[in-house]
Formats: sequence, structure tokens, C-alpha cells
Amino acid sequence: MKIGIPRALLYYQYFPVWKTLFEELGAEVVVSPSTTQSILTDGSSRVVSDTCLPVKVFLGHVIWLADKCDRIFIPAVRSVEPKVYNCSKFLGLPDMTRAVIPEAPPFLEIDIDINKGRSTLYRAIYSLGRNINKNPFKIRKAGQAAWQSYLDYREYMLKNRISPPLALQHITGEAAIRNSSSITNAGGQKGTIALIGHPYLIYDEYINHRLIHRLEQAGNKVITPEMVASPDLKAAVATVTGGAYWTYEDEVAGAGGYYLQSKADGIIGIMAFGCGPDSLMMDMVRRYAVKLGSTPFMSLTLEEHTAEAGVVTRLEAFTDMVYRRKKADSRVCV
Amino acid sequence: MRLGIPHIGNLYIPLKALFKRLEVDYIPPPVNTRRTLSLGVKYAPEGLCMPFKLTLGNFIEIAELGADTLIMPGSYGTCRLGYYARTQEKILNELGYDIEMVQLGVSEQKFLGMMKIFKRLANDAPWLKLLSAYGFCQKKINAMDRIEQLTQKVRAVEVRKGTANRIYRDALKAIDEADDSRTLNDIQKEYIERLNAVEKDPDAQPLIVGVTGEFFVVLEPFSNYDIENELGKLGVEVRRKTFISEWTKFSYFLNPLGINENERIHRAAQPYLKRDIGGDGWESVGEKVLHSNEYDGIVHLAPFTCMPEIIAQNIMPSTRENLPVLTILCDEQMTKTGVLTRLEAFVDLLKHKRMMNNKISHKVAVQGV
Repeated sequence: MKIGIPRALLYYQYFPVWKTLFEELGAEVVVSPSTTQSILTDGSSRVVSDTCLPVKVFLGHVIWLADKCDRIFIPAVRSVEPKVYNCSKFLGLPDMTRAVIPEAPPFLEIDIDINKGRSTLYRAIYSLGRNINKNPFKIRKAGQAAWQSYLDYREYMLKNRISPPLALQHITGEAAIRNSSSITNAGGQKGTIALIGHPYLIYDEYINHRLIHRLEQAGNKVITPEMVASPDLKAAVATVTGGAYWTYEDEVAGAGGYYLQSKADGIIGIMAFGCGPDSLMMDMVRRYAVKLGSTPFMSLTLEEHTAEAGVVTRLEAFTDMVYRRKKADSRVCV
Repeated sequence: MRLGIPHIGNLYIPLKALFKRLEVDYIPPPVNTRRTLSLGVKYAPEGLCMPFKLTLGNFIEIAELGADTLIMPGSYGTCRLGYYARTQEKILNELGYDIEMVQLGVSEQKFLGMMKIFKRLANDAPWLKLLSAYGFCQKKINAMDRIEQLTQKVRAVEVRKGTANRIYRDALKAIDEADDSRTLNDIQKEYIERLNAVEKDPDAQPLIVGVTGEFFVVLEPFSNYDIENELGKLGVEVRRKTFISEWTKFSYFLNPLGINENERIHRAAQPYLKRDIGGDGWESVGEKVLHSNEYDGIVHLAPFTCMPEIIAQNIMPSTRENLPVLTILCDEQMTKTGVLTRLEAFVDLLKHKRMMNNKISHKVAVQGV
């Protein structure tokens, strides 16, 4: 059985898990290529225009996969921490995709809700695995291996201070993709710029106009949320927002708070237009930045019409400001 | 302590009664105007939805009148509404208002939790007083909603347009002034009779349009340009499930007993949307499916950038049940003319559709004979 996995949304967080799980169960995994113009256009042609950019990209990847596999894996992640819920779009993802892409092959769905207890989660994994392999022991083993691969993946990124694209390459042995979206640590030392935001925005070089590449070429060191240990992120979330409200907030409020308190010359927050959680969280980070008044902060909103020149201009202006400030070493307003 | 709660429809009327009985200094929010919305838009993060901006505007206007304790209804969950209280408190504090924000969560606090909050606000009033005050408040809510439901029906078929609205406005005023249950009962009876006595077009077969969507924009006429009234003027009978009386009845009293009004709707939505996606998205899809035979069309109201409703909007066209849906996104940019034009076009479409259906069924009947 060929299982398609769209290279979008949660791919950057969980791909090693899914790959291990499905391959252990004896299935073959197909991943869509990096986002292209046609993938984005295909995706956005199916939904109402108010749908947020990452979802449009996701749908484009599903359309690409539609005739290349037997099943497409689309999880509905409700909650991965107690009492902290995910954005609606992740919950409605399988149903919405089914509604707008009727020609797609059947989906493999799984409901992940940690609040319903361990046994519900295990049962969900079991019923997902049964689609591929009926042997419960094998499913159990595959599940354990998948979890281990996730831990390895996080640790690998943290230890080597690298970003998901490079780590994924290392884990999957996949080297063919062009990699201007990965941090190479090759950049000079003109300044350290922290990028905060969801991985599906930071590492999708098509929708963010090769942001990392541009920053590195200009001689900056780029750091991202994956390079901070989880407890530090959690603590920063509490300082910035007064307690987590959404899943995957660590990447925005946590990383934002952490880098504002330490070791970055400038911080760029990346959000998608119309993103519900980020509209509040980026604002919280901005308020915190204003309060501290120590690190320059810029928020960059992406949508499918974002002109490349506009992004470049803002980047240049921001980095110029960061360098000058570094030289003068004076306080600056945000 | 001076207390303020933002506008949600006519909720200020029963709340006034509640806090009067509890002897709490309650400041009803000034009527929503362009200024209210502009204030909200000015100080809110730009990507947020109409409910946030409008309630923030309300809060600022109430704070200007001297309120120091503000209540924000909204539950914790997938919809971002649950986070609004915290953000709004920050914004208001930064603006220099020294206020305390109390979040009134429904799904996690239930009836008892809400009463405890009221008890604290009312200087530890005895339970008996609290319950009787709440009972009276609930009675006002019920009376208001019953009259509104009837008004929705009468508006569509009245001969002299505007009569029902006038009676409705009088009724609200009378309910607001009523001070005890008996007067309230009399008022309810009197105005229902008056509405029933309105001269109606005997041949009228009004189109039936369901209004559904996000709770706040459905209930707050200012945020949707009083769309129900406009539909009534076009001769359309409006039906909606969302009423505060229904909502309190179920979420406070019947849900704990295991009776869920939405179960039927959720079951109807099941084939197209399997899970709760927060907000009212699930219900919007379900209502379309459930009422496809009963309604001629649905007006789906959603705030701009509302996550659950966008999903619902994407799913709705794919259902097998064929029912025209007009989605109207409410935000500070929308204009009355824009809304009216779209409503007129929609109603024309529904009229045509009904005409065609009648023709077809007529033909079938003739052929059958």
C-alpha cells in the first residue's frame, strides 16, 4: 500500500513518526515535493479565499498526491497537551479536504486528543494501524518505534542546533530536495536573527520567499524555535501569555519570549494572514517586545500575494537597523 | 464596584434586572454605534474578528462611564474567543483603565460556576436571593425571545411594513420596565396578542430562510446590519435556532442531565464533518443538512477570519442536500448597501427556485393523473 503524506502543516514536526509507523507496518510512504507555484494555485482554487495560506498549501499537496498513492494520511490533531487545544483548521482538516477534493483517494485519519486519556489514544493508533496491518503486536511495535523516532528527531535538532529540513534529510536519507530552506550555519556573523513562527511557514521556502537563505546570504546567523529546549519554551510561554492556550504555541510565543530575553540581535515573527491563533500570539509577543524594549522585533505576514520585493525590502531595512544598533549598542524602540 | 458586560443582542435588559435585584451597580453599555466599532478596531490587533473588536469597543465605552469590573463571556476551547478576556484586559490596562476582567466561561464553569461569580460580584449575597434574581432574569430572557420569534414570523406577512417592529420595540421597553414576574407575564401575553392581531396578507406564502452561523454575529444586530429585519422587509420568514433563552436552557440545565439540543444537528452533520471544530462550525453544517427540506435557503453569518466558520463554509457546498447558502462575512469594512444587494439577489434566487419547483411538481402531478 502506498501512503501519501503532504509536505505541509504538521509534516515538519511529525514526519519521522509517520514514516516510521507506516514503514514498520509494511506500507510505502510517498511525500509530495516542495511547494511550487502550481501546488499553491491548485490548493487555493478549491477553497474560499478566507482560508488561511498554510491550509491552501496543504490542499495543493493533497491534490498533487491524489493520483500517486492509495491512501492519504491526514491526522486530526485536537490536543497534544492536557487542556490545550489546537486551532480549528487542524480539527476540520480531514473533513474539509474530503469536501473540496472529492477525487482524492480514501484518507487515513486519526483523532489525537490527549485529554481523552491514554487508552483512547492507543485505540486510535490501533485503528489507524489496522488499515495497513491487522497484527496488533506489530502495530504496538510500530507505534513504539515511531515514538522513539520522534524523540530522536527532537534531540538531534536540539543537540546539533539544526532546523527540521536538515534533520529530516539526515533521518530519511533524502538528499535530493533543493535546500535553501535549511539552516546551514554557513552565514557570517554580522548578526543573529531569530525566526519565530510555525515550521510550516518558516521552512516552506516557496511561501516565505526563501527567507532563511536570504538572511544567511546577507551574512546573518539564523536561529529557530527548534533550537530551544522544551522547558525553556514552556517557561517563556507562561511569561509572555500567562499560560498556554493553543497547541504549537511554543513555536511562537515561547520562542518569541525566549529569544527576546536572550541571545538574538533581532527577531522576525512570521505569520500567515488570517491565522487565528497567531493574530493573538504575535500580538502578545509584540507587546512583550515593547515592554522589554531591548530587542528589535518585526512581524511579517505572509499570504499568497505577498510580493517578493516587498519581503526583501522589509528584510533589508530590518537587518540594516539591527546592524546599526549593534554598532551603536544603544537602546532602540521596536 | 461598577460592573459592565458587552452587548450581545438585547441581553442588557435581563442583566439590568438581575443586577438590580442583586443590588450591584451595573452600567448597561451605550448603544452600539460606529464609534464603538472604531474604538475596537483602533486598539485591537488587526487580524481579530468582529466580536473581539465590538466587545472591546463596548468595554472602552463602559470604562469611560466609570466601570471597574468587566465580564467577558467566552469559554476555553478551540475557538480563540476563550482567549479574548486576557488580551482585552491587557489592552484596556495599557490604555490606562484600571479594570478587573472576569471571564465567564460556560463549558467549564457551568451554572454553579456562573452563580459563584455572581455571588462574589454581589458581595456574597445569599443563595436564595441569587437564585430568585437569576430566575427573574431568565424569565425576561424567555419573554424577549418568545416575542422576537413571533416578530420574525409576522414581519414577513404583515400588510403595513414596520408594524411588527414597532410592537417589538415597545415590547422590549415594557419588558425592561417590568419589575415583577406577574407584570412580565401580562406583558408577554399582551404583546403576543398584539402581534397576532397585526393585519396580515392572507395569501402570503413567505420564503423561509434559516439564519445560522457564529453565535455573536447572529445575535448582535449591529454586527450584521440587522439582517433579519431586512429579510423580513423582503417578505421572508426568518428561522433561527440560536436564542439566548435556548442556549441558557440547554447549556445550564439540560446538558448536565445529558440532554443535548445539538445532538440531532451533529448527527446530521456527521457524514460531512465528523468532529467538533470549535465555535459553531459543526452546527452550521448540521443545520444546512437537517433543514434542507424545511427551509428555502440559509443565510450563514460569520465574522471575517473566523476559523470554524471558514471550515463550515468550505464544507457546505459539498453536501448532498441541495439548499442555497449565502455566507456573509461580517467585519468593519462591510456596508449596508453591499449586504442589501446580496440579500435581494439571494431572495430573488430563492423565489425563482421555488417557482421552478412548483412547476415541476405540478407537471409530475399532472402526468401522474
